[in-house]
Amino acid sequence: MKKRNYLTLFLTLIFLMSFASVGWSKNLFHSGGSSTMLQILKSLLNPNLSPELLKLAFESSWITVAYAAAGISLALIIAFVLGIPASGVLTESTFGKWMSFTVFRGILGFMRSIHELVWAWLFVAAIGLSPYAAIFALAIAYGGALGKIFAELLQTVPQEPIKALRSAGASKLQILIYGYLPQALSNMVSYSMYRFECAIRSSAIMSFVGLGGLGYQIQLSLTELRYNEVWTFLFFLIVIVSAVDLWSSLLRKKMAEAAASRLSFVKLSTVALAAIAAASWMFIYIAEAASLLDIFNAKNLEHTKDFLSGLLGIGQAEPAFFSLESWKNAIRLAAETLHISIIAIGLSAAGMLLTVIPAARNAAEGTLTLKRKWYNWPLYLFTSGLYIISRSVPELVWAMIIVYILKPGILPGAIALALHNFGILGKLCAEVVEDLDLRPVRNLASSGASSGQILVYGVIPAVMPKLLSYILYRWEVIIRTTIVVGFVGAGGLGQQFKLSMSWFHYTDVTLILICYLLLVALVDLFSEGCRRIIQ
Amino acid sequence: MSSKQMFALNNISKSYGEMKALSSLSLIVEKGEMIAIIGPSGAGKTTLLNILANIIKPDAGEMTVDSKPLTCYKTPKLFAHKVGIIRQQFDLIGQLPVIQNVLAGRLKDWGLLKSLISLILPQDKVQAVKALERVGLSDKVYERTANLSGGEQQRVALARLLVQKPEAVLADEPVASLDPARAEDVLFMLTKLAKEENQTLIACLHSVEYARKYFKRIIALKAGQVYFDLPAEELKDELLASLYSLGDES
Repeated sequence: MKKRNYLTLFLTLIFLMSFASVGWSKNLFHSGGSSTMLQILKSLLNPNLSPELLKLAFESSWITVAYAAAGISLALIIAFVLGIPASGVLTESTFGKWMSFTVFRGILGFMRSIHELVWAWLFVAAIGLSPYAAIFALAIAYGGALGKIFAELLQTVPQEPIKALRSAGASKLQILIYGYLPQALSNMVSYSMYRFECAIRSSAIMSFVGLGGLGYQIQLSLTELRYNEVWTFLFFLIVIVSAVDLWSSLLRKKMAEAAASRLSFVKLSTVALAAIAAASWMFIYIAEAASLLDIFNAKNLEHTKDFLSGLLGIGQAEPAFFSLESWKNAIRLAAETLHISIIAIGLSAAGMLLTVIPAARNAAEGTLTLKRKWYNWPLYLFTSGLYIISRSVPELVWAMIIVYILKPGILPGAIALALHNFGILGKLCAEVVEDLDLRPVRNLASSGASSGQILVYGVIPAVMPKLLSYILYRWEVIIRTTIVVGFVGAGGLGQQFKLSMSWFHYTDVTLILICYLLLVALVDLFSEGCRRIIQ
Repeated sequence: MSSKQMFALNNISKSYGEMKALSSLSLIVEKGEMIAIIGPSGAGKTTLLNILANIIKPDAGEMTVDSKPLTCYKTPKLFAHKVGIIRQQFDLIGQLPVIQNVLAGRLKDWGLLKSLISLILPQDKVQAVKALERVGLSDKVYERTANLSGGEQQRVALARLLVQKPEAVLADEPVASLDPARAEDVLFMLTKLAKEENQTLIACLHSVEYARKYFKRIIALKAGQVYFDLPAEELKDELLASLYSLGDES
């Protein structure tokens, strides 16, 4: 308990120091930045709903969903192929276990360490502008994430039925399909649905490497300063993401239910999801005229070879990764990236902590503090609506908007990341509050505690450890995304990555990726250590 | 050595760190016997059953199953033809339909392809349905297993054993988490089916009453050794009292 308090204090101090070192001054705003902000906010109230624009919005929404569905279906295959061996359930020998834990975990870790947009950019550089660049990028990054979770789910399945199958003479593979997979399936489905929701957001930002979809339209409207169109597209994105979110929570509920009706809903959803995936592949193959075989032609092979040898610095006099000067620069940028991520997680955590109580359903119903006020429900609807909007919009899109208001630098990137993660953290943490065991609260109330006292003594201590580990977990995600907001001029490794890519300084790119991977690994390690202290 | 011996244990010992679970235990089990193993908690009942089931290896001593040493059973599949196990009600995959849990008893005879197909189109269905009829669950063939009551789930486990057809059945506290009426129901069925199939049955039980009622031979364990080994009708109350007394444990 003591240790945890020290840790919280320590982390808060780090955040405050980072926040203080931003270099605050009036210079942070563009001249006219504040009036731009007002314009953007005003156009929120009158989005462009003309028929032509709506048609365009529907079309680009479909492109976004299609890339996401195609990417996630490929990611699922990768996740099974790599996640099952990574779980170690098929091996018994020490060597086999070692193989599964280091080799397969390593591959999965590498795949998910690099953000999907970075993968997409690398693919575009290698195979040219094709929908497959986006799809492969999503498949690799999400395959890595899904595979890791699948492996963990398989490992934590109840063991009694597995032992029973073993003693009934089932082989390893038979135990896998009769014991491990059926038991882990419902968790796998709900995590995959959650990932599908994320993939839609990621797919929307694939515009950044030149691919179509909602992100592309948002970018276009922003450059032409038509903010009312921006909001139209954003609303479409918000609706799609919320719909998938709703679908997945409904599916999760139905799968857990014992009622007979569950079968029909679950079956219907399975069919619908398969149909979406099939339609997406058909669309990409036919309407986008992107043949999968076409990209494996001699020209692309040559491109890929050139690109890869460029990355490896083959035939170059001074590859960046052998130059001390370049390393110094890259490490400075890595520190800047870390700085951005700390401000981002700190801001979103602060925002979440201020709003999480009213955003919990049990607070709105009055069961949490045992007091019902008229403003509980409106407050609940307002905060949870805020969460939905903030998390439906990808950090890169937030960043694109913010760079119209703030000058490039550390702050716009941090704010964009904070805005997106505020909604995610808020939702996760509100669920923690909703799942709270309410008996101690009733106890406090019956000994005469006021609402405020109940919060301070009953609620906050009970939920804090979980909230803290969610914050740390989100920080791990943020560090991966920090590179991405750098693309729009938010500083750090991302900005340098973009510059080096456009100048074809490929050895610089390699160096940046090395630093990026090291940074991600470092943050993962630190955060894991902290979470262990918390538990 | 007669081939009528199902299990023969000679000086079996097993310890977990400092704790001696079994010390120099010897035991002969004839084919077709119905044995209950009783004794206080920690007496080594489960350890003994797990050794018989070839799940854990003894530290010392020899054991034969059907008069052959364990080294003769090279694969789990071969051993599953000899010995089947039923435990508390957590043996089943709750997410699968009842019939798939019953058919898991056939996995030892199936290849991977057949097992995969069976998940969609149940194979050897007639056999599984027949087994479910015998345990009185013919109306629950396609029900999700988790939706069944504890007693019903144990009967599904019995149906799995009927499909697996081992020569000996080991039951580890098969009724531990059931209410008395259901416990009697499951024990009655377990012993009846074992008789009908000419199987050897060895069950660990907490309840002396059930042991007396449903089994012919009762083996009591205490501190890792056989405390007594008697026909059920010769069991005296004084003996039981001293078996469960706390005084002379050491």
